[in-house]
Amino acid sequence: MSDTPPGRRGPILEVPLPTEAISVRRKPAGEPESFFGRMNYNLQFIRGRGALEISIVLVVLLAGYVIASLISPTGFAFLNPNNLSGVISQSVPVLAILGLAAGILMISGEFDLSLGANITLSAIVFIKTSEAAGLWLGIAAGIGTGVAVALINGIIVVYTKIPSFIATLGMSFFWMGAGIFINGTSPAALTTSREGTMEYLFAHNFGSFRSQLVWLLIIGVLAWFFMHRHKLGNHIFAVGGNPAAAEAISIKTKRVKLMSFAIFGGLVGFAAILIAVRTSSIQPGGTATEDFTLFAIAAAVVGGTSLTGGRGSVIGIIVGAALIELIRNGLLLAKAPGFYITLFVGVTIVIAAIFNKLMEGKAR
Amino acid sequence: MSEALLRIEGVSKKYGPNTVLNDVSFEIGEGEVVGLLGDNGAGKSTLVKIMSGVVDSTAGDFYWDGQKIDKMNRNVTERLGVETIFQDSALVPQMTITRNIFMGREVTNRFGFMKMKEMDAVAADVLDSVVTIEGIKSPKQLVSSLSGGQAQAVAIARAVHFKRSLLILDEPTSALAVRATEALLGYLTQLKGEGVSSVLVTHNLHHAFQVCDRHIVMNHGKKIMDARREDTSVEELTAAVVEGAVGLARFRAGTF
Ligand SMILES: Nc1ncnc2c1ncn2[C@@H]1O[C@H](COP(=O)(O)OP(=O)(O)OP(=O)(O)O)[C@@H](O)[C@H]1O
Ligand SMILES: [Mg+2]
Repeated sequence: MSDTPPGRRGPILEVPLPTEAISVRRKPAGEPESFFGRMNYNLQFIRGRGALEISIVLVVLLAGYVIASLISPTGFAFLNPNNLSGVISQSVPVLAILGLAAGILMISGEFDLSLGANITLSAIVFIKTSEAAGLWLGIAAGIGTGVAVALINGIIVVYTKIPSFIATLGMSFFWMGAGIFINGTSPAALTTSREGTMEYLFAHNFGSFRSQLVWLLIIGVLAWFFMHRHKLGNHIFAVGGNPAAAEAISIKTKRVKLMSFAIFGGLVGFAAILIAVRTSSIQPGGTATEDFTLFAIAAAVVGGTSLTGGRGSVIGIIVGAALIELIRNGLLLAKAPGFYITLFVGVTIVIAAIFNKLMEGKAR
Repeated sequence: MSEALLRIEGVSKKYGPNTVLNDVSFEIGEGEVVGLLGDNGAGKSTLVKIMSGVVDSTAGDFYWDGQKIDKMNRNVTERLGVETIFQDSALVPQMTITRNIFMGREVTNRFGFMKMKEMDAVAADVLDSVVTIEGIKSPKQLVSSLSGGQAQAVAIARAVHFKRSLLILDEPTSALAVRATEALLGYLTQLKGEGVSSVLVTHNLHHAFQVCDRHIVMNHGKKIMDARREDTSVEELTAAVVEGAVGLARFRAGTF
């Protein structure tokens, strides 16, 4: 028991925090003073959240690739500038943005398996609007479609309480069909509107990096501040971690989940634009975008996002996406047959999920 | 006596065909510590949830400072300053102690970004001033890394910290060791001095008798006893809790 009787000095804090409370604040007991001591101390508490471990795996893999590429520059052309810029600033950013979308939704405790169908539909709307009414309206329409699709899914999930797995799996076929409905079965293609600003914004090769990498940096920083430092992000974690507790403390869980769906949709719509501009054409009902559904969830899981909600980190997800794309690139460079890639990514996901489970066990 | 802080009248609750609360009325005075006692399944937690506004009652009226409350819900109780520790724990295990304490009431700048340093410092302060408990190293620890009692201490610290007018504690001491329990009971007495009312649900009648000004005993959804401390005894409370209305009558007749 402390020496001063508790409560004697009255309420320590009324909301909002009065300045006196800040002025009497002190360091939590036992926090070391030195820089390294503090770093070590802080590290001890962020352990068990995945991002650190996965980053180590990524660094080791990268080191291996660099060594292999130095030994055999032609046999394993990882360090070839074209390869580097293609992987690091083209494939990774798209998957990372989709991984953030899926991951943020998973943190809130939900899934959206119509991610691939959403990409197709949003990309088609983006292409058609850009062709007809110009780039800026196209961007708004593409992102708007992503948000609308996800919000409709979200409303179904939140108000009917059907597991989001099933609801969005079903809706995935619906949105797939919607894409064919508005476009027909022939591919939607960007023609003249792709030149100039659009290409520059979303797919330009600046030599050592491409536009997509810049977007990932911007979105990554925003997502980090939102999820880890903003109160709304904090509510997403709370709702995913223990909805009853969040509800009891008067957080509106339905609203928070719908917000998570909307963020998911916005990011998916944006990624759809990146994909559309890069490939110039989108095949409605095609499987190329469909693959992204599981790859995005994989990136989130590999990055330490809990499958049951409440746990995950922005940095972890981005590193997870990078790891998956690196493995994919490595297999490609080693001229492994195509199915190896699927196989390998599959194994990675399962291992990551097991690893996650162990981490959760340790943290408990 | 002036108006009671909270008065509830004729509160009933049905879950389907089951009547869980049957016409319960009582009041909680300002600065009063009320013990809510009764056997398992008597309806204590249900009553707590209704008073906190997280569960709707089937029937009943509520008055705050004499004013009728049209509808009890979480928004209303939040505004009135009702703070509750629910029996089925209300923490998010994957989050840190600090984030749990400030969940839903984050200290932010005007753009909604959290002031992590301030929150950590206040959390550390709250933890060692309210319920001193062994083994919590830092407010940055995840709640999942705490023992049951440590987690409960965090829940208590949160409720006590944000106390405003009515503090409801549903079996707060069930996982606490002797020392932490003593600290909490002492704290309730002190809150009383500051005019904060509290409702304490507990199965430990000695604890209840130690701190509560008044005791309400529930049995199968009915209130069977409502007595001030000076008008009752641990023995009488025991009879009422264990044997219900019959036991109470027998105790009063001297044949228990
Ligand atoms: N959500 C619910 N749906 C149906 N019945 C419920 C529900 N919640 C509680 N009950 C029933 O209401 C009765 C009272 O439960 P309550 O939790 O209020 O008891 P309690 O007095 O707090 O018991 P304990 O001392 O064991 O915590 C029990 O019979 C319980 O089965
Ligand atoms: Mg109970």
